[in-house]
Amino acid sequence: MNAIAGQKPSLIWALRISVIVLVGLWLFPTLGLLVSSFRTGDQIATSGWWKALFPTEQNLTLRTAEPDAQVQEGDLWVIEGNLFEEGSKAKISAWGTNAREIDANGPGDTAELRDGSVLTVEEDGAYRLQSAEEMSGRRGPRVFATAVVPPEFTVENYETILISGGSTDNLARAFFNTLTVTIPATIIPILIAAFAAYALAWMEFPGRALLIATIVGLLVVPLQLALIPLLKFHNEIGIGKGYLGVWMAHTGFGLPLAIYLLRNYMIGIPRDIIENARVDGATDFQIFVRIILPLSFPALASFAIFQFLWTWNDLLVAMVFLIDATGETTVMTKQIVELLGTRGGNWEILATSAFVSIAVPLGVFFAMQKYLVRGLLAGSVK
Amino acid sequence: MKRNLMTAAAVAALVAGSAQAQDLMFPVGEGDFNWDSYAELEKIDLDGEQVTVFGPWLGPDQELVENVLAYFAAATGADVRYAGSDSFEQQIVVDAEAGSAPNVAVFPQPGLVSDMAERGFITPLGEETETWVKDNYAAGQSWVDLGTFKGPEGNDDLFGLFFKVDLKSLVWYNPENFEDFGYDIPASMEELKTLTDQMAADGNTPWCIGLGSGGATGWPATDWVEDMMLRTQEPAVYDQWVANEIPFDDPRVVEAIEEFGYFARNDDYVSGGAGAVASTDFRDSPKGLFASPPQCMMHRQASFIPAFFPEGTEMGLDADFFYFPAYEGKDLGSPVLGAGTIWSITNDSPGAQALMQFLQSPIAHEVWMAQQGFLTPLKGVNTELYATDTLKKMGEILLSADTFRFDASDLMPGGVGAGSFWTGMVDYAGGKPAAEVASEIQSSWDALK
Amino acid sequence: MHPAIQGLLTIAFGVGGCVGYFYLSNIILDTLIFPARGKEIARNIRRANMVRPWLFLFPALLALGLYLAYPVVETIRLSLTERLPGGGSQFVGLANYKQMLGEPKFWEALQNNFLWLLVVPAASTAFGLLAAQLTDRLAWGNIAKSLIFMPMAISFVGAAVIWKLVYDARPPGTEQIGVLNAIYIWLGGIEPQQWLTIPFWNNFFLMMVLVWIQTGFAMVILSAALRGIPEETVEAAIVDGAGPFQIFFRIKVPQIIGTIVVVWTTITIVVLKVFDIVFAMTNGQWQTQVLANYMYDKLFVARDWGVGSASAMMIMLLVLPILVWNVYNARREMR
Repeated sequence: MNAIAGQKPSLIWALRISVIVLVGLWLFPTLGLLVSSFRTGDQIATSGWWKALFPTEQNLTLRTAEPDAQVQEGDLWVIEGNLFEEGSKAKISAWGTNAREIDANGPGDTAELRDGSVLTVEEDGAYRLQSAEEMSGRRGPRVFATAVVPPEFTVENYETILISGGSTDNLARAFFNTLTVTIPATIIPILIAAFAAYALAWMEFPGRALLIATIVGLLVVPLQLALIPLLKFHNEIGIGKGYLGVWMAHTGFGLPLAIYLLRNYMIGIPRDIIENARVDGATDFQIFVRIILPLSFPALASFAIFQFLWTWNDLLVAMVFLIDATGETTVMTKQIVELLGTRGGNWEILATSAFVSIAVPLGVFFAMQKYLVRGLLAGSVK
Repeated sequence: MKRNLMTAAAVAALVAGSAQAQDLMFPVGEGDFNWDSYAELEKIDLDGEQVTVFGPWLGPDQELVENVLAYFAAATGADVRYAGSDSFEQQIVVDAEAGSAPNVAVFPQPGLVSDMAERGFITPLGEETETWVKDNYAAGQSWVDLGTFKGPEGNDDLFGLFFKVDLKSLVWYNPENFEDFGYDIPASMEELKTLTDQMAADGNTPWCIGLGSGGATGWPATDWVEDMMLRTQEPAVYDQWVANEIPFDDPRVVEAIEEFGYFARNDDYVSGGAGAVASTDFRDSPKGLFASPPQCMMHRQASFIPAFFPEGTEMGLDADFFYFPAYEGKDLGSPVLGAGTIWSITNDSPGAQALMQFLQSPIAHEVWMAQQGFLTPLKGVNTELYATDTLKKMGEILLSADTFRFDASDLMPGGVGAGSFWTGMVDYAGGKPAAEVASEIQSSWDALK
Repeated sequence: MHPAIQGLLTIAFGVGGCVGYFYLSNIILDTLIFPARGKEIARNIRRANMVRPWLFLFPALLALGLYLAYPVVETIRLSLTERLPGGGSQFVGLANYKQMLGEPKFWEALQNNFLWLLVVPAASTAFGLLAAQLTDRLAWGNIAKSLIFMPMAISFVGAAVIWKLVYDARPPGTEQIGVLNAIYIWLGGIEPQQWLTIPFWNNFFLMMVLVWIQTGFAMVILSAALRGIPEETVEAAIVDGAGPFQIFFRIKVPQIIGTIVVVWTTITIVVLKVFDIVFAMTNGQWQTQVLANYMYDKLFVARDWGVGSASAMMIMLLVLPILVWNVYNARREMR
């Protein structure tokens, strides 16, 4: 493989480095999302995700234990404890008890609170609050701490999406529903398009060029316009909202691109192969099944990947043609959108759901990749 | 071949269609609920009839509404299905036009109801409901007026029932920060302005304002302007403004926009400076109240905003609100700005009619009140049932308002209220003169006529 | 029944029906209607060959006609009418188009669309070709490819979220959570920038998102094409002493030029339809409006079907050059 650049090691290095740079650039935003999916919403909103990997200095608002925890030591009422949760390795560099001055005190200092009680905070978060009178209220006083906090991650977001959010049953059902939508919605258009593409590439009939142009023209039809007339049509012929309707819709919307890509690939197949077969007496159907289909596998595979992705990530078509008011036929994207809530915008849920929904398409890509291998075409020419 | 497919689809639907009975949140007969009204509903028999409800609520909100609808199902035996969508406005139009509308739709904006009623997609609720709203809602006539639109034949009818109200004239703050700095809650707009100055003088940032909301960027500013409109002008002027009887670039409207600018366009008053206002996301902006050190002291936003406070924020302790006050010097009382969802029948059936009847019974209101995020103008409900003191306090503001006005941008035509008004406010926050912005909005309104 | 079985059943019905059509219809044509035997064998084969293209095309034409051509006709009709209250509509001629041309937002959208059309297809195809060629020769090329492909698997809305996080700006003095601003500050910038609100340049920040997504598409298609190049031509060039750059530009690129054009065209069309990204990130504010979002605005926000349809026609009009070019190409290939 490296025969071409083999003689020049410098070139190989240049090659490797440029690939790494390219991949790095492309990966960087996604990496941010991946890291964010393991953080809480508050963390995402307060510090950069790249800092999540290292200890950072943060301004925290903490509280001592509530007055219920106080014990009497002689004349004094005392609460002792640690500001951090057990096992935390955070280190406090400065602290304060008033929002005016959040870094008034250093570790080990003692400060007087507004109500006369005194508070001592150590570097590791241990504190002692003592007062001459019995303390009251529902909560302990605030402590503003400037602390170096080690990286902290959570799988809570994944739990929300996969387990607790809207019950596991729903997600499983949505998963199977989505597959029921996507698999036929991927295979049917490819089949139909492959036959049509062959006819447009290798069969002679009047009006061929015009038909090709029309198909390219139809590529741009905005989906939003087609929704109402088509749903009306589905209702009139009696299929209403359901799988059949959503397959037909995805097929219709995916066809122009499928035909366009496949025809273009098929036209590149050497003419000799097809003419030889014709001379040998093969019918078009036989040529198509025995020669064209195997030779077009890379193109079929790559289109399959894309059609799968579109139908997998689609929400609009599913909402219009599949999901009826009973909500039984829900899909993954809908399920995720539901988790986001009415006013949307929860970054942690969005980030996590992006990764949950990316898993299957990525698996498909890996599975299909071996069909994209070199030499299928070249091999058959020899 | 096609028949096979349909059979398969039908089988699929049948198998998937077995619904589980939902548990009721509060057992029937227990607690201070109005169980008499529930018993009344039990007389309706809808055994097994499916009633579909389609609305904008998702996530936790969806659970709340489903819990309420479960009482309807339990009392009447109907099979109620709620489905939510974040693109509700778009989808209800598609569904209605294509003829697959749900029985009942829950509209977040009256503007859309008006459009759909005119096209004949909504069934009028009738005289009886109209009288009921007038008699039983606080400021009943105004709720009737808000739900009345022109039908396909051009005559006015009540097309929607308001159920679940949001309060907008609220200012959120962090009580402990107020205590640390010794600030007091202002009782009038004059005091609010003095307080803002004092905060800025202390080196604090008084306000967090964020207009960002993806495709809807700008809407939080429209609430500001509407609140200011109610605090500088008579309610009648507000109504004329909404109906475009006075132009958008009327000096009185421009004045209200500039009142918003007093706070939002002053670098010393807003967190991040005036330049950050338009692009800060409205969901992120209240977080500044709880930052250490605090990034701002106050945040004006509707009653739903606690959902976006940091996790673990306890209402009444970590955060609280006060009424966005009116000018003492102008005799306009204490006006309140609000919004609400309208329930309409989009596909008439006995079940849909019965559901409307359910919404008029106190129990429907009370079960939601006892959960969260629900305010009602219905008189005679047991306000002790409000789940938190915060809600109760809001409920009191709502019931004691001498002027209640509905969110103007929701009442204006979509192209303005959900279009040029939003974008105009973004331009204004970015430094464009108020008069120029207002006249642009007016010309977009003219284009719609 | 378990949902999985149920799903499998429906899948089998759907796909089986489709395969059945092609197989059976060809058998029927060849054995029943025009049997290739007996006295009229030559005539029958010729006749069958005249019918067969349409047999192959029929399902595609049906679906295209119904799902795309019919809405286009409907759109043309809507763009010439105005809805009347209480249902029904009225023919208004070109009034909707006139109204559209009078709106400054429309011109802004048109202008931005041209900018997008210039930048995005070119950048995506170039990056895609680069990625396809470079990774082709590496042992870990497939992994690199998958990583570049990954954005393609994220929905547009998800992508919008990712990039919003990249472009995010926090008030000066506080910690930046957007990478771009963090780098900007680190390089000595003082005020964090609101990248998406800087007129003109914000268009490029939005375009970046689409380039990021579409490069994966271009890469996959182009790498399939690169692998289709007969090895002999490349080997022959190596024997002749051609350098890697010469091989790439003189041997490989000309052989896949057809595919490059297809990728370019496809991305151009994606650009014309781009809506989700702009909608989710700026909704066309700060002078970033594009035609597809303008159309959406008119259709579903202003609920003005006339002008909405008119702007859809505008989008279709923009594709005309590509259409003409394709007719020309198809004619040439036929010869």
